[in-house]
Amino acid sequence: MKKAISLVVLLALSLSLAVGAAADHIVYWSMWESTEAQGQVIQKAIDQFVADTGHTVDVQFKGRTGQREGLQPALDAGTVIDLFDEDIDRVNTTWIAYLADLEELAAAKDYEATANAGLIAACREVAGGTLKSVPYQPNVFNFFYNQSIFDQAGITQVPTTWPELLDACEKIKNAGYIPITCDDAYIMCMLGYHLARLVGEEGVRDIVMNGNWAENPAVLQAAQAYEELASKGYLSPTIGSSVWPMNQNGELALGIAAMYLNGSWLPNEVKEMTGPDFVWGCFSYPALEGGVTGTEAANYGAQVFAINDKSEVKEAAFDLICYITKGQFDAMMAEESVGIPADTTNTQWPAMLAGVQPVLESLTTRYSWAAGIESNVNMTPIIKENFQKLCGGQLTAQEFVDAMEAASN
Amino acid sequence: MKKNRTMVVVFLAPALIFFCAVFVYPILRTLVMSAFHVENVTSSLNQWRYVGFDNYQELMGTSLFRISMWNLVRIWAVGGVAVMALALLLAVILNSGIRFKKFFRAVIYMPNIISAVALATMWLQYVYNPRFGLLTTFFNSIGLTSLASVQWTDTVHKFWALLGAYCFGMVGYHMLIFSSGIEKIPAEYYEASTIDGAGQLGQFLHITCPLLKGVTKTNITMWSITSVGFFVWSQLFSTVTADTQTITPMVYLYTLVFGAGNTVTERNAGMGAAVGVVLCLCVVAVFLIVNWAIKDDDLEF
Amino acid sequence: MSSQHHRAHVNWKKEARLIPGYLLIILWVAFTVVLLGWVFAASLSTTKDIFMGNALKFPTGLHFENYAKAWSSQNVSTFFLNSLGYASISTVLLILVAAPAAYVLSRFKFFMNRPIQSSFVAAMGVPMVMIILPLFGVVSQMQLLKQDWTVRVLMVFLYIGINVPYTTIFLLSFFTNLSRSYEEAAAIDGCPPMSTFWKIMLPLAQPGVITVSIFNFINIWNEYFMSLIFASSDRVRPVAVGLYGMINAMKYTGDWAGMFASVIIVFLPTFILFIFLSERIIKGVTGGGVKG
Repeated sequence: MKKAISLVVLLALSLSLAVGAAADHIVYWSMWESTEAQGQVIQKAIDQFVADTGHTVDVQFKGRTGQREGLQPALDAGTVIDLFDEDIDRVNTTWIAYLADLEELAAAKDYEATANAGLIAACREVAGGTLKSVPYQPNVFNFFYNQSIFDQAGITQVPTTWPELLDACEKIKNAGYIPITCDDAYIMCMLGYHLARLVGEEGVRDIVMNGNWAENPAVLQAAQAYEELASKGYLSPTIGSSVWPMNQNGELALGIAAMYLNGSWLPNEVKEMTGPDFVWGCFSYPALEGGVTGTEAANYGAQVFAINDKSEVKEAAFDLICYITKGQFDAMMAEESVGIPADTTNTQWPAMLAGVQPVLESLTTRYSWAAGIESNVNMTPIIKENFQKLCGGQLTAQEFVDAMEAASN
Repeated sequence: MKKNRTMVVVFLAPALIFFCAVFVYPILRTLVMSAFHVENVTSSLNQWRYVGFDNYQELMGTSLFRISMWNLVRIWAVGGVAVMALALLLAVILNSGIRFKKFFRAVIYMPNIISAVALATMWLQYVYNPRFGLLTTFFNSIGLTSLASVQWTDTVHKFWALLGAYCFGMVGYHMLIFSSGIEKIPAEYYEASTIDGAGQLGQFLHITCPLLKGVTKTNITMWSITSVGFFVWSQLFSTVTADTQTITPMVYLYTLVFGAGNTVTERNAGMGAAVGVVLCLCVVAVFLIVNWAIKDDDLEF
Repeated sequence: MSSQHHRAHVNWKKEARLIPGYLLIILWVAFTVVLLGWVFAASLSTTKDIFMGNALKFPTGLHFENYAKAWSSQNVSTFFLNSLGYASISTVLLILVAAPAAYVLSRFKFFMNRPIQSSFVAAMGVPMVMIILPLFGVVSQMQLLKQDWTVRVLMVFLYIGINVPYTTIFLLSFFTNLSRSYEEAAAIDGCPPMSTFWKIMLPLAQPGVITVSIFNFINIWNEYFMSLIFASSDRVRPVAVGLYGMINAMKYTGDWAGMFASVIIVFLPTFILFIFLSERIIKGVTGGGVKG
């Protein structure tokens, strides 16, 4: 009898708990460090979210390395993680098996009404046609330049074709500056972009995966273009040896060099050195004669939020995503991290990125990172070595092609 | 005899329990995994696909893996000789009765406990910098302009630049090990030989060296293990993507397990496990050779 | 009187013979001081000056705010306390576990001796990734990561386990090199082998024990990958993960001066402890019977 009563009481208790449990607990593993601007804005958004909704949030700032190394083991081991974020490609390919489908939630909240259509489309595309992630902190990878050097050199229009780029380089060189600089971390992107302009990203992948270095004439063509840049003194003299961030900080940010093929995160990374008066410009990698893709193509993407398929608080987690990627916190994130807003109603871009807006809006074709030139792990270091030599003037275009052909057999 | 057996069991048991709990299962798993195609280290067994020795075969056929092994051999052999020689020399000098021994010892060891991130940044942005770096300034000041204009981190010199920076940090560690070995040598040995009129070199060759066999063995074993795990410095000397001058098997393993840089590439933890097994065998081989070459049974004194 | 004079004379001669040694050591130390001095100077400089090659010139004065910024950015004191706890407990327990094992491995011939030694060495060659990630799977299935105290105990357990092979192999050679005459003398005095170890042999191996303890302490203090995977909450995190986060954040935001300041904050405690540990303990020991 006693047992029965206690059972009933227990049942009633648990029922009342279940009914009253409107407050959910969300575990969020973040790709940011708590010290970064993005991390701080996210923390503010979470505080507001907790105050408004009564849900609780356990946010753990893991950083990029932490996510990359720790997220999958934790998910495999069944750790409770409801929400996480990382780069659009990594989330949607490496971790696709863990992602919840967000189509219904997004429709219910009418999320897309104020979201960047191109990025949402990119998210659908990489996830195989359905929305499994929500983009924020968009970025674009293209030529960034120092406007005051362009002005001094008398360049009034950004180059859109290769001859125009050569012309601009000549003017910059004559004005006493280094036209183009780069570091080891990004140098492969120049080759990737050039090849992709000629043969498209698929063509680039075919070259690096199947070793068609000599077979595909585009390789020699690209190598000749860079041989010319090197021989005419348009590339930084330390381009073949610099380890990131030596030239990014020491040449571009200090106003010695004019152009750098880099991501839209660059102004933020060097803002301590450039100060607020530095005027940034941006233009798309020039189009090449007879090329498959033109200035409408570039690597653009975003960080994305994704919800664990096993999460029991998907709706609350999606609400939190909305808090971070919409309205005031999205605007705050863009401002504090010198980033691009994700919410289309936040039309005010940070001043430093004003030049990026028309470029991003003109893009219609998306390359993945470095236009696919780094997709063969076994070749990447070898391509890098030879391309560094080519840019440093230690190899001719033909020698570059021969070296690559020999290495890929 | 029976007493000894109980002692062996009692003394070994705790260490073996810890060893079994932490190492045996992961090691066996790694060994088995190297015969499978596995996408992720934590993938469950039903996602493993048996491939036999394919992983090993493919590894041996990959020129990048061979390059990484060659880099490792150079780090181990060239770096090893340099570090051991310097460490022994410094340890002997420190224990020869000079003043401020403890201060010197602390300073020499210091680089070993500073985060590699800072040290590597210091070497790259200060020592090797082609514009205002320490080396450039130094060579310019003594008139060797051809040496001053060398770009130490270009594709030709980068390996040696990396090795130099790494070895500088490691000397202190091995110096301490040698030093603790020398401290253990009873001072009477030296006093006796000084009275006998032995010179410094004679003392070093006939007293210090033979009595340091044990620690030398430790030093070589530890050096081999740290070399095999060579990773952080490579990453710092080539950000985001590896390069041929700095890649080591551990860096290669990392790209196999976690993917490379900013690009999403195919992952194969099974092949990563095969790299691990190869490295592990290298360490055991070195250990056995060292044990065979430096016998300590004849060390009774 | 004459003998005293003689001694002083010999010392002068000795000092003179040490000159090449002094020169070499001073050269090496000077180089080290310049390099580490640069790191320290960079931590008080600005990012711009670092990349202009002005880190040692301080054209805009000393920037102590780098430290303030780095320190306030994280929950540093919790991380320090955690690390201090993990590192000191594990270091002491490691000696208690590994020293007896090293001793019997060095002294007694038995059937499994060589295989045990080889497998310890092999274990050190296995990449940590291959050890940590599978262990994580096992441990989280055992529900050991839900509460703070279990995580703490687990961390200490793993730190010990991971360093047992290293410590044992390291101490092996120190016991091997000790003369057997000590044990023979003790046996004649009627001291049982086990207490001979604790009372005589372990103290005799003290230079090795101290050295390996310093290494263990520093290794555990700086250990990164395992704590990253196992200690996911800020409350149980050690310094390495917490402060490497700080270093990374400074790097990502391009605040290189702040990065160097973070590095100094991470480095100082280990360095002070190194000096404290090695000086104090060695002093305590050399007064004893080591030279006997």
